[in-house]
Amino acid sequence: MDVITGLTLKNMLLVAAHNLDQQKDMVNALNVFPVPDGDTGTNMSLTLNAAVKELERTDSTEIRRLTSLLARGSLMGARGNSGVILSQFFRGFSEGLAQVTDVATGEDLARAFTMSSKTTYRAVMKPVEGTMLTVGRVAGEEAEKVAEAGGNAYEVVLAALKGAQKALADTPNILPVLKEAGVVDAGGQGLVCIFEGLVTGLTATPEEVTEILSQQAVPLVDTEFGKVATEVSVNKYCTEFIILGEGINPDWLRQELESKGDSMIVVGDGDVVKVHLHTDHPGEVLDFCGALGELTEIAIDNMRLQNQEYEEHEKNHSLSLSEGTNVVGFPQSAPEPLEPPKNVGVVAVVPGEGLADIFRSLGVDYIVPGGQTMNPSTEDLVKAVENCNAESVVILPNNKNVIFSAQQVKELVDKEVVVVPTRSTPQGISALMYFVPDDSLEDNLAAMEEGMRDVKTGEVTFAVRSTVAGDLQIEERDIIGLAEGKIAVVGSNPSMVAMDLLATMVDEDSSVISIYYGADQEPEQAEELDNLVQEQYPQCEVEIYSGGQPLYYYIVSVE
Amino acid sequence: MSKIHVVTDSGSDLPLEVQKRLGIRVVPLTVQFADEIFKDGEEISTTQFYERLQTSGVMPSTCQPSPADFARVFEEVAEPGDTIISVHISSKMSGTYQSSVLASTMLDSSITVHNIDTKAASLGAGMVAIVAAEAIQAGLELDEVLATVQNTIEQLAVYFVVDTLEYLKKNGRIALAAALFGTLLNIKPVLTLDDGQVAPFEKIRGKSKALKRLQELLGEMKEAYPDQKFRVGISHSNSLEEANSLAKRLQEHPEVDGEILISFIGPTIGVHTGPGTIALFAYPI
Repeated sequence: MDVITGLTLKNMLLVAAHNLDQQKDMVNALNVFPVPDGDTGTNMSLTLNAAVKELERTDSTEIRRLTSLLARGSLMGARGNSGVILSQFFRGFSEGLAQVTDVATGEDLARAFTMSSKTTYRAVMKPVEGTMLTVGRVAGEEAEKVAEAGGNAYEVVLAALKGAQKALADTPNILPVLKEAGVVDAGGQGLVCIFEGLVTGLTATPEEVTEILSQQAVPLVDTEFGKVATEVSVNKYCTEFIILGEGINPDWLRQELESKGDSMIVVGDGDVVKVHLHTDHPGEVLDFCGALGELTEIAIDNMRLQNQEYEEHEKNHSLSLSEGTNVVGFPQSAPEPLEPPKNVGVVAVVPGEGLADIFRSLGVDYIVPGGQTMNPSTEDLVKAVENCNAESVVILPNNKNVIFSAQQVKELVDKEVVVVPTRSTPQGISALMYFVPDDSLEDNLAAMEEGMRDVKTGEVTFAVRSTVAGDLQIEERDIIGLAEGKIAVVGSNPSMVAMDLLATMVDEDSSVISIYYGADQEPEQAEELDNLVQEQYPQCEVEIYSGGQPLYYYIVSVE
Repeated sequence: MSKIHVVTDSGSDLPLEVQKRLGIRVVPLTVQFADEIFKDGEEISTTQFYERLQTSGVMPSTCQPSPADFARVFEEVAEPGDTIISVHISSKMSGTYQSSVLASTMLDSSITVHNIDTKAASLGAGMVAIVAAEAIQAGLELDEVLATVQNTIEQLAVYFVVDTLEYLKKNGRIALAAALFGTLLNIKPVLTLDDGQVAPFEKIRGKSKALKRLQELLGEMKEAYPDQKFRVGISHSNSLEEANSLAKRLQEHPEVDGEILISFIGPTIGVHTGPGTIALFAYPI
């Protein structure tokens, strides 16, 4: 056993994967940190299985070829925090054997184990001792000691196993939560299972390997649940995905993402990068990384809910057992919202209750009160967009002073947001004629921008100070009429100003005149205006609605 | 010598003059106001129907002809050895097509019936019946006639404007969500038929603007079928003036082939659309 061949290495890894698979329930039961999701063993086992599948597919016996397949397979198959760290362990292992072709010596293997450990530490932003990181490090250190003393391949791998076992036993002394729970670190235990398999595989004859691999996993019957760790990650969502890009620098990405969460792992070879972190803002992280390449294998879990479910489960544990239900798995999905999210939602800024009702009847999900003289803050809009039960949101500012703050919202929320730059409520209504909730955000934006131009807007209000507008001399408190935001007429009676204003707006193509009267107008006054307009423009359909807007006697539109 | 005959149902709104000229036999659906049952076009005129629809306060319903009704007509129309092309309004809107299919199985086996689901209604189905009858008059073989009919069904465009969505909604002919469109504003939805069912197409404020939009839609069809002429039909429920004015504007398009056919939407379809509906049908030739 001075050296090992590629074939032996392959057998070692197959046996290691098999051993971990057999023991994964035991490892799962140890999983108490950082969230009680109870699947460390499963995750590590699936990760390693994905890696050895790559080995089974090849006929190559070249060591560096085999380890490179192992590294890539484990990265693509990596699941969960522990799986990602394991994939880095194999990546380091592969780097350590990058020059080795036919046979690996004890020295080669010790170097590979040391590299494995170093890579795992580099992948984690803030390495925590007392975890599988420590177990891997001590294994590497013990292997190095024996190799330096001239140990052969078998002695080195055995030393690594013994180092790993020693470090595992010590993990509760380093991490108080483990001691509190009365367990050793689950990831560390998984790693020990792998080292056990490596040793067994190294000493076994090919016939023995075949026999070992054919053994069925024995279900674990006596497992007690580890207690819930009292510490839960401060960030809510466990977020995991792979970026398929080009030349992505994991160190740089790690720095970029550091502020967004904790328990971060960023690993990969530049073209395939796996990201795992706990964050309160998974959308931001996905947006950022989505710009670097294609995202795949995206998984986001709410860890607080998982934790609650675990505690619920603990309470009902004996009951569950007596009913014979499966007590091992926990439901992982977040509760369903009351209604399924819409494809595209709409948030509109609207200055009055009557107008708000009209906007709602046209399919607007969320109304932000405001407009003239009461511009909503960007924060108000952000809240509205976040409360909108849709992944993509259209904002209708309906006022030229709101358009800019609406545009800021795009940068502040996790949702996809577009602003249709409506400058008046009639433009907003006109845009909504073309809103189709099932269409894409882009199609809606294009149709609504086109649609908002179908209408001319007029407003009747009063002057707050004396001024001159073109030929018009305006005194404070005069009634003024604005066409498309520009002062067009002046007078002393709102209805008469509205008539004069309409005279500047209606032409032979006009077919609909709408009048939205303000909060301070009596319905009778509005009705009088309605009659006057109908008489004046018999070719048009005239509609009158209570808009409820303050300060503006009338908002009129012509289309 | 064996002959090919065309039969349709009263939902195809074929004017009497066309029925006579082309020898198309129409099987009436029945309209029911509370306990009173009328045969469409035979026991109640269109004018009487709309008057009752608006004044009676009772929402009428329609009922498809029974298979026996169809079988009787088929046997009256055809001699042994003859073929019948039975053209019907959309099977998604009415059981009329199904009833005709059942009737076909009840006949003397020497009469062959080809049942056609036009996936349209009103004059849309009517124009398909006309295409069939004209092809027969032109001496086309049965398979050529059927191919022409299928081609027309595939290329037929249907757009219509209703005064109110109430009737479609009450009769369950349009999804509730779509029916809620703009309940506060005076919105005249432009509707279409999608795979034989009423589907919202666009929301338009005001009837005259909506009618202008129908005119534009014919223009858009011309882009889809450049260098082709179109047969155009308009049907309306008690809105002859609007139908005439739309026809007049459309007739100016050089692509419109022949005279635009205008017909009254009868009780069968009128129950579902209500008064004030204008429908545009067009297909390229």
